[in-house]
Amino acid sequence: MAVCIAVIAKENYPLYIRSVPTQGELKFHYTVHTSLDVVEEKISGVGKALADQRELYLGLLYPTEDYKVYGYVTNSKVKFVIVVDSSNTSLRDNEIRSMFRKLHNSFTDVMCNPFYNPGDPIQSKTDLMKWQPLNGL
Amino acid sequence: MAQCVQSVQEFIQDSFVPMVAVLCSEDAERVTRKNNLSFPELLRPFCRLTSEGHLRDPNNQVVVVKGLRISVTGINTRPPQSPELHRLLSRTVSVCQPPEGSPANVFTAGDYDLNISDRTVKASVPWYSDWKETLTQLSSSKYYTATTPWFETYRENFLQSMPASEHEFLNHYLACMLVVSSCEAVPTEQFLKLSQEQHRIQHSGEYTHPKWFIPNTLKYYVLLHDISEGDEQRADSVYEDMKQRYGTQGCYLLKINSRSGSTGADEQMPDPWSQYLHKTSIHNPVSATTSLQTHPLQLDHLTDAGYPGNDASQSVNNVDEMRPQKQASGTSHTSPTPRGTCLTLNDHDHIRQFIQEFTFRGLLPHIEKNIRQLNDQLVSRKGLSRSLFSATKKLFGGGKVPEKSIAELKNTAGLLYPSEAPELQIRKMADLCFLVQHYELAYNCYHTAKKDFLSDQAMLYAAGALEMAAVAAFLQSGAPRPYPAHYMDTAIQTYREVCKNMLLAERCCILSAEILKSQAKYSDAATLLIKMTSEDSDLRSALLLEQAAHCFINMRTPMVRKFAFHMILAGHRFSKAGQKRHALRCYCQALQVYKGKGWTLAEDHINFTIGRQSFTLRQPENAVAAFRHILINDSKQSAIQQAAFLREYLYVYKSMSQLAGDGSLPQLPLPCLHSSQTRVFFGHERRLAEGEKQAATHVSLEQEFDRDLSQLWRELEEQVVSVANRGTVPITFQPSQCCLNSQTDNLRHPLAIVEEPIIVEVVFRNPLKVPLALSALCLLWKFTLKDFSGPEDGTTRETFDLNPFQTTALNDIIDTQVIPEFTISPEETKVARLRLLPHKTGELHVLGVVYNLGTGEVGDSEGMWLVCVAGSLAEDLMCVRGQQNLEIQGPRLNMTKEEKTSVRYGPDHRLDPIITPPMPLLEVFFINFPTGLLCGEIRKAWVEFVNVSAVPLTGLRVASTHPEFFTFGSATSDLTPVTPTAAEHCSAYKTVAMPPSVATMSLVSPAVFGVTSGDQPVVAEIPLSRGVLGPGEALQIPLWLRGPDREGVHEINFLFYYESTEKTAKLSHRVLRHTAFICASRSLSVRATASRSNTLHSRERDTEEQQEAEEKNASMLVFVDVENINTSEAGVREFHIVQVSSSSRQWRLHKCINPVGDKDSKLTSRERGKLCFKATRCRTEEGGIVSCTTPCADFFFRRGLQMQRKSHTPQSGTDDDWTSIVKKCSEVELDIIVLWKAYVVEDNKQLILEGQLHVALQTIGKESCSLSQKEETQEMVLLKFKPDVPPPLSKPSMEQLSHLIKTCLHYPESYDHPFPQKSLCMVPVTLTLSNCSLAQVDVIVDLRHKTTSPESLEVHGSFSWLGQTQYKLQLQAQEVYRLFLKACFFQAGVYNLGTPRVFAKLAQTSAMCETSQQSAMPALIIVNSI
Repeated sequence: MAVCIAVIAKENYPLYIRSVPTQGELKFHYTVHTSLDVVEEKISGVGKALADQRELYLGLLYPTEDYKVYGYVTNSKVKFVIVVDSSNTSLRDNEIRSMFRKLHNSFTDVMCNPFYNPGDPIQSKTDLMKWQPLNGL
Repeated sequence: MAQCVQSVQEFIQDSFVPMVAVLCSEDAERVTRKNNLSFPELLRPFCRLTSEGHLRDPNNQVVVVKGLRISVTGINTRPPQSPELHRLLSRTVSVCQPPEGSPANVFTAGDYDLNISDRTVKASVPWYSDWKETLTQLSSSKYYTATTPWFETYRENFLQSMPASEHEFLNHYLACMLVVSSCEAVPTEQFLKLSQEQHRIQHSGEYTHPKWFIPNTLKYYVLLHDISEGDEQRADSVYEDMKQRYGTQGCYLLKINSRSGSTGADEQMPDPWSQYLHKTSIHNPVSATTSLQTHPLQLDHLTDAGYPGNDASQSVNNVDEMRPQKQASGTSHTSPTPRGTCLTLNDHDHIRQFIQEFTFRGLLPHIEKNIRQLNDQLVSRKGLSRSLFSATKKLFGGGKVPEKSIAELKNTAGLLYPSEAPELQIRKMADLCFLVQHYELAYNCYHTAKKDFLSDQAMLYAAGALEMAAVAAFLQSGAPRPYPAHYMDTAIQTYREVCKNMLLAERCCILSAEILKSQAKYSDAATLLIKMTSEDSDLRSALLLEQAAHCFINMRTPMVRKFAFHMILAGHRFSKAGQKRHALRCYCQALQVYKGKGWTLAEDHINFTIGRQSFTLRQPENAVAAFRHILINDSKQSAIQQAAFLREYLYVYKSMSQLAGDGSLPQLPLPCLHSSQTRVFFGHERRLAEGEKQAATHVSLEQEFDRDLSQLWRELEEQVVSVANRGTVPITFQPSQCCLNSQTDNLRHPLAIVEEPIIVEVVFRNPLKVPLALSALCLLWKFTLKDFSGPEDGTTRETFDLNPFQTTALNDIIDTQVIPEFTISPEETKVARLRLLPHKTGELHVLGVVYNLGTGEVGDSEGMWLVCVAGSLAEDLMCVRGQQNLEIQGPRLNMTKEEKTSVRYGPDHRLDPIITPPMPLLEVFFINFPTGLLCGEIRKAWVEFVNVSAVPLTGLRVASTHPEFFTFGSATSDLTPVTPTAAEHCSAYKTVAMPPSVATMSLVSPAVFGVTSGDQPVVAEIPLSRGVLGPGEALQIPLWLRGPDREGVHEINFLFYYESTEKTAKLSHRVLRHTAFICASRSLSVRATASRSNTLHSRERDTEEQQEAEEKNASMLVFVDVENINTSEAGVREFHIVQVSSSSRQWRLHKCINPVGDKDSKLTSRERGKLCFKATRCRTEEGGIVSCTTPCADFFFRRGLQMQRKSHTPQSGTDDDWTSIVKKCSEVELDIIVLWKAYVVEDNKQLILEGQLHVALQTIGKESCSLSQKEETQEMVLLKFKPDVPPPLSKPSMEQLSHLIKTCLHYPESYDHPFPQKSLCMVPVTLTLSNCSLAQVDVIVDLRHKTTSPESLEVHGSFSWLGQTQYKLQLQAQEVYRLFLKACFFQAGVYNLGTPRVFAKLAQTSAMCETSQQSAMPALIIVNSI
């Protein structure tokens, strides 16, 4: 189960951040923001070598004391970050991968919404919230 | 930049230098004290050797020692103990601040300022990608180094104060200088004494502290000679003696103090000591550390607010105190204790020479000797010991290995070798080699030692060896092997976890990080530094985190966000360590990354911390700015958090305003003010309804602005003004604007009238989730007193400014309304209406609003982080006074090219009204004004005009969009009831008794009703007695209303215009608006058709032939269809047609030819009736109307005006054309007025409503209706891009032409003829031709039968015309001509005489047309045979 999911725009401002322990929101904001550096490093590293076979899933960005931060970048350079509790050892890489895929699908749905203005923070309660990785898969 | 950055090699070399102890005699100490320096201090600036030294290693290789530095310290200086060390370090860090010291300017800059330590990088492009480039550029530039001088000082101090440890020898004393003054009685005695002292210290075992490298420490005898005092000869002789005794290499004569201290005070001398000594010279026993136990990522309450007597604030004071001291030490000549005043430059050289001599002659040979000794020892022992040890280990190791559990490891960590242990000898040799820069040998030795220590599980020793092995490997110039980073890692881990020695771990970490950085392994360095942060030392953690942050930004792809995050962490640790300035700086630097990127939570947190730190650092402006930032932006924080922010902001703001204290109030950020939405209203607020009376709606702030509507009002006003000015609109005309907003034209200063209020509506928005309470809210204004009554436009007399503190002070000039309480709920947008009442004329400028801002909560002070000082009330604290300016930007200009290419805004003078002298003020009330009417219904209401001002008014006029809707009853008419109440059940029409069959006729000209063709129809003048309505006077006038012809809701606008009796330059007139809504429902539909009567035999055949002809020619039948189309069957029971009147210039209704006997024709729902009238041409050209009294005629003529306006234009073009002549034949101008009564049941009461409908007949045979259909068809018009081809000159149609000539056959209906007697029957027939047109017409009458169809021959068969069968005639206008014809029949029968064909054409034209009308009609004659 993720403790925090975040969607970051191409220009690196947050489109959507939600975390389960709401009192630690600020901490997650910092964590996610800092992880962007790693994301960017990974993108630039991948960009040269494997331009064609693009793997959207970036894998574990970095572990902190309490959490593991995973990253995912869409082709339009929108970043997804999922923070998982370190103590949760049952989560495999594949599960994280599928979480990202679901998140990506939800995000695509949001973008398809004609009333959504691309670049705005995602406010809708129904779009991304429909899929609640925070409440368990 | 304060300090030059060392290279890594230099730094490491300087970290490990040979230590020399100094033992001074008292006299010698006294000599150096003259310079305010101790002997070690005296030497310190000269301890770096500028020349190269040489020594030989055990293999006789020459080793070059470059840039060697030695450290000279007093023998009894002991490194500070842990708490003292902490204090010392934190002080040095806090003293060392970034050069220009004001980090505040970083974040107040509008654009993006990235300020990393001392260099400001300005990157105005907001997005990260560009910013990254800038950074990359920066880090690659060779000038760029992110210097953190405070860290360097910390590092230096930290390394210097490392306590000497057992496991290493690097900071053990290698030599000892024994210093004796030459003025001593017996210097040699003294030397002996000192030497014994040294020996005692080293070997007696009493002292643990000064640790010695080698048992036989080098003793160097120094004779200090004071030139200014002592006998030089004596000194020389003593020195000679010393040379004898200690050898030339073991002693030195140092001559100093060439001048007496007092003489050269004015001389400028370099002070090399300043940079070495100031850091330790301050011994101020103030604790600079206060631990603030808060987590970096939480915003909760800090327990101090900078009140005196608090720990934290003391540390603040501390910093402030230290700053001047630091500056003083920087310029030491002004300092109270000038150092080295007795020394000349020569003396400096002496000292330098002395150090050199000591090092090269004394120290280096000593070291060389020792290295050789140790090497020999080791070599001699090597073969034996190695093999022996390993053998024993092999022998006994089997049993030993399993026992080496963790417990044992811990034991061995504390294992101490005896000082003469062979393992330590290797280490000692390694250290010696290291100190003299023989790194290769040093590395080998360290490596060997490491192996030994590890095999013995002596972890501390092993870690030390590992550390030094790594450093030595790094320092080897040729770099034969890569830097073993893992050695360092192991060492650090061992120090931390096994030995629990954080100091050593820290040293190791600093060294390693420095080395890694030099190899561009920033990522590793950062990891290392971050690992080293721990809970036990905030200062260290802070500094290391900051360094880690700098590592991140120095990476090849700079990791800006990591930099920022670690800066925040560092800032937090700094603040915990009491280093507020550093904390603030860190946060400010981090903010640059987070600012404006949408990471609002983080941004708020940083801003909040900055605000708090700035406040405690006495930078309230910055604090206010930072807090302001949190509040202005749409905060995503929780309500509680926002409340806390707000409270803190208010507190900071309050304390700042107390500091400032002068007149102008600072700007408040909350609530948001939407300046452009500000509306200004001039005039009184009106009450709309008052019992029966209904006031004119005029303009109010409640109404939304409507562009179309305002245009409509503007047109109305223009019309009425032009009427008032006899047809011309003055150039200076400006529509009156009572309510100004962002869409009105605000280019001119609006005019306000003295003693009439000005209401400014200000829009506030509360962006927060907590309520805001404003109090004592009022406008802030500036007023210039001017007198407009004089001949000049105005003379400035005085200017007043509203003092924001005393709002009521100037109430005799302008009454300023103060709203005592104004609360805005969370996230609410609320308007405040603020009133000003000017009492003097002049120019007013509304500048802004001034108010007290407080939290919406009442007296809740538990959650406050502020500690209230005794006695001060919470409300008092929570409420601050401030202002916000109303700055309104005008519309963007877009006229000239220049304006189009640049962004320019016009002025907006909404808030700068000019107060003019008094003007009349009219109020209009409507009494009994209906809301719903039937179409065409006539209703009476009353209108009351009241002049509520002190000035008489005149020239009252009204303009309306629907002038046909109302008319004012004349006051003189007897029909007008005296009071409105009496009028209620009175009919609108006066009933005149007269015989039913006789139509009344009265002659009325339209001019009587004030309607002349040239007049502006929309404007009506309202008669006033004497033309003036005096102050306080009221006038009631009846008002007739007629329901609009079309059903639906109608908006009817009235514009009342009035002037002052005296003309003032500023304001020519005033207006009052009223908008009424009338719902019209369907009543009757009247359709009328006129048809030409063909009868020849009119009843009133007169004797005079001419008269008769005209009668025949000019009579007409009018059919009036009346249909009840009212749909509400319940409401309206029935309609009665009371009267039908006509109005025309040429026609009059003659007589009703209805068969129905009853007078009133009743129509219930959905019924239809037809009335038939005969109309005759009047002889008089004057128009006539039957129902000639008001209001009927009024409404009729008002309607007529509308019709005229519509129909006049198309006619004018074709006036002289012959088609019009043709047309005219069939034209009638007849208006029919139908008066009706409706019986309406309403609330079980029967009401009789009356009304009138008008129908305009224009063409014979064409139906016209009371409802005009025109507008319906015009709804959709094709958009045309090309102008239409003008329609070809229309020829009059056949039908129209056929109306030119009217033909009529006169003959006997039956004719008896005795055919048997006379076979031929002759019947006289008269063909009457009458010319309907007003032009000459050529007529051809052809009597021959049509030959074209044989059938017709059969039908018409057997009769023929006799005599002339074809005529060519010319008929004058309106002429009637008779042709006498003869028809000849051969047998009895029925014949159709309608065979004559009549061709008519206008005399001028060539086209000949047949008038087919008559020939189509059969004219049958019966011929009987007798």
